[in-house]
Formats: sequence, C-alpha cells, structure tokens
Amino acid sequence: MALKRLKFTKDNCIGCQLCAQACSAVHEGEFSPSKARLSIESYYTSDGELKYKESYCILCGMCKRQCPFGAISMDDKLALNLDLCTGCGVCAEVCPKKVIKIRDEKAVLCDTCDGDPSCVKICPHNALKYE
Amino acid sequence: MEVTISLRGHLIKQFGGEQERVVEVPENTTAEEALKLIGIDWKTARNFGFVAINSHKVLMTAQLKEGDQLKAYPKISGG
Amino acid sequence: MFGYQNKVLRIDLTRKGTIMEPLNMAWAEKYIGGKGLAIKYLYEELKPGIDPLSPENKLLLMTGPLTGTPVPCSGKLAVAAKSPATGTILDCSIGGHIALKVKYAGYDAVIFEGKLSKPGYVLIQNDKIEFKDASELWGKGSHEVEGILVEKYGHEASVLSIGPAGENLVTMSCINSDYYRQAGRGGIGAVMGSKNVKAIVVIGTGGVKVDKIVDVTNRLTEILRTDTVSEDNMFIYDCGTTAFLEACNDGGILPKNNFSDTTDEDWTKYNGDVLLASKVGKRGCGSCGLGCGNFLKIGDAVCEGPEYESIAVAGPNAGISDPESIVKANQVADDMGLDTISAGDTIIYAMEMTEKGIHDFGIRFGDKEKYIEYLKLMAKREGVGADLALGVRALAAKYGGEDFAMHVKGLEYPQYEPRGSWGMSLAYAVSDRGACHMRAYAPNEEVFAASIPPYTAEGKGEMVYNLAIYNAVKFSMVICDFWPLSLERMTEIMTMITGKDWTEAEMNAVAERVINIARAFNQREGFNRKDDTMPKRLANEALKSGAAAGQKIPQEAFEDMLDQYYAVLGWSKEGMVPDTILCQL
Repeated sequence: MALKRLKFTKDNCIGCQLCAQACSAVHEGEFSPSKARLSIESYYTSDGELKYKESYCILCGMCKRQCPFGAISMDDKLALNLDLCTGCGVCAEVCPKKVIKIRDEKAVLCDTCDGDPSCVKICPHNALKYE
Repeated sequence: MEVTISLRGHLIKQFGGEQERVVEVPENTTAEEALKLIGIDWKTARNFGFVAINSHKVLMTAQLKEGDQLKAYPKISGG
Repeated sequence: MFGYQNKVLRIDLTRKGTIMEPLNMAWAEKYIGGKGLAIKYLYEELKPGIDPLSPENKLLLMTGPLTGTPVPCSGKLAVAAKSPATGTILDCSIGGHIALKVKYAGYDAVIFEGKLSKPGYVLIQNDKIEFKDASELWGKGSHEVEGILVEKYGHEASVLSIGPAGENLVTMSCINSDYYRQAGRGGIGAVMGSKNVKAIVVIGTGGVKVDKIVDVTNRLTEILRTDTVSEDNMFIYDCGTTAFLEACNDGGILPKNNFSDTTDEDWTKYNGDVLLASKVGKRGCGSCGLGCGNFLKIGDAVCEGPEYESIAVAGPNAGISDPESIVKANQVADDMGLDTISAGDTIIYAMEMTEKGIHDFGIRFGDKEKYIEYLKLMAKREGVGADLALGVRALAAKYGGEDFAMHVKGLEYPQYEPRGSWGMSLAYAVSDRGACHMRAYAPNEEVFAASIPPYTAEGKGEMVYNLAIYNAVKFSMVICDFWPLSLERMTEIMTMITGKDWTEAEMNAVAERVINIARAFNQREGFNRKDDTMPKRLANEALKSGAAAGQKIPQEAFEDMLDQYYAVLGWSKEGMVPDTILCQL
C-alpha cells in the first residue's frame, strides 16, 4: 500500500501562508506560522525573481531512523512518544526539509493531522495535496 | 442574420468554456433576446453585468445588426 | 474581544524611546480597526492645523482583529497620517505580509511620533525595538533597500521602505513593501521621509488567539471554498485588475489623453491578454485566498502588476500603447517610491500643457521614454522634475490649465472617467482623502451592471452613500477590496473572530461613524462643500468617443448630487457634520 504524503506544486502557490495558520491553530491553539509544522513562503528578490522556500514533511523517515531513543514511529504517519523524547535535537538536525523543531525540550513534528491534513484543506489553489 | 456572441468571466460556461461563437439570429433581435437564444436570461442569471455591441456598452434592449459583436460581462468587483 | 493583541507600540523617534500601551478598546468597539480606528486615533491625537511634514504629524500602522487569522483576504495594513498632498486625513492600505508581521510581533498598531535626528531605520523584532543607522541606504531605490534588509534579517522579515521620492518629501510619494505593494496615495511616503525613517523592518513570531479556534478554522476553510474562491471571483486570480481594462473601455470610462476623451482603439496592444502572456508567477498577500498579484517580465521590465490604474495612467491616458513601457513605468515608480496615479496624472497634465502651448514641459502624449525619465526626475526633484513633483493643483496655479487639472483637494484623479459614470464625480468629490476610487466605487453600479443609469444625477447621493458605507466598515475590519462579501458574511466573521455578537445594524453604525469621523477631521482643518469639487473639464467638454460619447456633467447636476449625499448623511448644506453627530464620535 503506497503511503500518502504531502505534495507541493509551487505554480499553484500564492504564498498566503494559510497552510501554516491552519496547522498552528490545530496543533498549538493559536494562529502562528512560526509554530507550524510546515513553512511555505514565496518572496521576491532584488534581481527580479520570485522564489519559494518550502519546508514540509515528506515522510522520508530519517528522523525515525536517527532517533537515539526510538521515540519516533512511522506507519502511515509519524508519531512521537513524548515519554521517550529527550529533546536531544538529532531529528531536527537530520530532517532534510527542516520541518522538525525542538521546543520546550521536545521535538515538534508533522503528524499529517491524523491523515486529514488541515494545511491541504485550506490551501486555496490546491498547491498542497495529500496523496 | 449572423452575429458574434462573446462571453466573459463565468458566463463562458454557457459556451462550454469557449469565449466566442457565431450565432444565427432573426433580424432586429435585441441584446437580451440574443442572449436568451443561447440560454442566458440576464434577469435571473447569477451576477450578470452588462452588454456591449461592437465594444460600446448598450442597454439590454439595443438592437443588433448583421455582423455585430455582442459581448456579455459578468459583474466584476473591485477598484 | 478576541483577535486583538490589546497592545499598541508607540515609538518616539525624537527621543528614540518606546512605550507599549493597551489598545483603546472603547474606541475599537466603535471603529473596529484598520481605517476607522486609525482615523479615530489621529482625530484624538493630532491638533488641527499642523504641518503634515513636521514632526508633529504621526504615522500609524493599524491592523484589525482579523489580521493574522485565516479570514480570507484579511492581510492588509492601514497606514495613516495627515496628508501632505491635501491636508486632509489620509488612510492607505498596503498588502503583502507586513500586516501579519505587525500582528504576530504582538501589536494591533504601531504609532511613529517625532523625527529621527538623522536618516535611520527602525527594527521591530517582537518586543525588541532598535533604531539603526540608514546613511548607507539613504538615496537608494526601494527595491535595492528591501534586498539589503532582507539579506540582513532574513525572509521572515517584512520591510516597509521609501524611495528617493519619500526622502525628498515629494507629496506623491508612497511606502513600499514586498517590492511591489504600496501604501500609495496622498504623500504617505513623505510623512515617513519627513521623520527621517528610510525603512521599518518587522519580525513577528507570535500569534493570534481566538475562541474555539479549531471550529473557527474549519468554518473559515468552508467560507474560503464557497464564498471567496468562487467562480464569480476567480477573475481576480486569473487576470487581476487587468480584467477592468476591457470592461472600462467598452463601458466608455477608460480615459484617454489626460481625460480629454475615452476609449482607446489600441487597447488590445496592452490589454490583459498581452500583459498576462508575460506572466511568470503569481502571488497574494498573507491570508489571501484569491491571489491577485501577477508577476510579469516583459522585455526589460519586471513588476508584480501593473494594476488597472497604473496601466491606464501610463497607457491610454498618456497616449501610450506599448505594454513594455507601461510595465516599466510601474516598476520605476515603485522603485522610486512614487504613487503611479498621482505621478502619472501629473505627467499627462504636463503633456497636455505642452501640446496646448500653455507651458512647455518638454513632453507630449505618446512619449514613452520621457514618461519613464520624468518619473525619476520627479522623485529626485531634478530638472523639470522639480516642478512636476509639485503635483497637478500646484502646477495649475503656477502655469495655468486649471480646467484640466484633474484632482480633488490636491489628490489627482483615478482612471475612471466620470462623464461615463456620473456618480463617480460625486464619489471623487466627497472622498475623505481627495479624489479616490476606493471609497465609493461607482462603476460597479453604473457601468458594470445594468441596474443604475450612468448619465443622470438621480439617486446618486444614495448610491454613493451605500457604496461608501460598504467599504468604510470593510476597510476597518480589515478585508481586501477584491472579496465582495456580503454584510451578513462580514458580521458572521466579526462575531466568530472577536467572540462578541455583532449585528448588521452595529456594522452599519460603525461604517457611518467612520465616514463621519473622517469628515469631522477634515472639517476641523477647514474643509467643507467648497472643497468637494469637480474639475471644470467634466462640465465644459463633452466626450467625443465611446459608450458615453456626448456626455458631460452639468454643474447643477453635480451640485444636486452633493446635496443628496449630504442629506443622506444628515450633514448641512455646506457639507458640515452637525454637533449632534460630532459628540457621538
């Protein structure tokens, strides 16, 4: 059975960050993109380009493999065992998409909202898909 | 007589997504009658805007001549 | 009420001090935020008669309770001050991401008072505020400055900056952000320049809290899908405001050659199809659902935009039909920090003056190279730019051509010809900041719809009142112009976000209050009916082409529209707000 993952199409992205607002609302109880488990931005440069900076979980499993305490499991989504997590930061270092953060001595990672990602639901032009 | 009907915005649904079609209509057909013939009743259509004949805004009761272009706009908002 | 941060950051530039104070919640309950609350603060805090370019003026950045939440199209920031161009109250609206950053930094509003002793920029990182030296940045265009500051502080930072125009206190200078978004009109950039502030950098990593946040998020997602990103509104995403070009041309209100006529046969050379063929990207503001920004690269020109106003004023109204030139004009104006509308209108007035032999400004209709060159000269006040930087009203007083000096109260005319939409002459005349199309957008009713006949004064007072009411409360919430949501939807959203039960009646009461307090501010500065004017061209000259050919607006008809509008609002015949209303504001 193929794993569903987040997929991003930058041509459809308008840089609105509704994705990050929805994520932080559902996980942190406030609209705060800096606390979200994904970060997608677009920005202009002074040499006349439009660029994208995207950071979202691709379910590569590096965090699970590298966690020294086995605190991260992955079946169809990632799950963090808070009792085993020591906030050592290895997962955050190895995450190729720079999604994982350490806050209050615990890892903060994307759990795909239990298979129904809020970011995908709110993306106005379907730049984010879960398939 | 033949006229060209050109649709804008969501009205192009009436032409299955095409913007323009040449249509056969009776002589002296008015703008609103011509639209009725292609299935648009401007009074009941959602968010209907205005019409132009040969790129000039006209009243719905304006009469078409052979070879005219009738353009129909949806309501557009903004500033 | 939820949604607010309950905090205002007050910055004393003279002493380089900062104070954090509670938001005046009693005022917020009456004016909500954005436009309305900014005007209330200025009404209470500014003494009448101050010089807008003196340290006594204040520059306000004002968010609303919805800012930083997923309410679609809520990512705009009100930027307000007393206007250097007109002496009236001035509120502008800037998109991009700055509004969200201010809110996430923890503030409902930031108020700049006084003046830095030498050019600097202000860095706001959540609750840490620093005053930095800008001597290396002074003199540079906005685009270069934004590049330098973003390189230094990262992409999470939002930057407000002025170009050389603002530094030189040009009264049509703007404030830029995200390269191509502006707080555009009335000389707001000169207020920032007069305070020696080259840029404001904001980093905000906090958030906004509302009650029942998961339910709210779900409902907003539903509203986004069914009401905002609807079939009817998709033209905003597909074409942006280029969609207005064809409609205005057919509707007979696209101006040509300094409003001397309408309709341009060459419009297909620079229309939406042509411009959008050069689109290389799309962008919207923070929390936007629609995404109006078209990033274009055409020849040597690079710009997000241009919007309808900028296309018309650098295109048909200047006798120009070259799309690359039109886009370049937008790019240069943005970088120099000039309002495309006012700067463009001044250049095209100069074209007509030269053509008519009244005064030789060295430029005629169609001269696209000089158009671009003159923008740069105006920003720097060099050569002929020293004169042109004064704007249409001052130039007409100096050199003549008063009849076709297209402005109200000193703010130059937006690109909708009122002889094809009579109510627009009223809207321009009574707008709080001078001739502005964003207060009451008459073409919606008179041109783009079959409902209201355009070439009559009848009923226009009420029509403009209804349009003005709608925008007044919408821009106080703050929600962007491009989402035509109903009053019912606005009320639902306010209730959901703030947690207070708002009614439609209360929303309308806020709207009237906002219109009245803006008028009261101006009244206190000496404005009344005599300043609610219509350029003589519109009464004297009939249009020759287009759907409105033959139309001109008799002065009596204009006066009748003013009478109607004042009556609807309960103002006197002189357009004065009575004491019975003033004491309730």
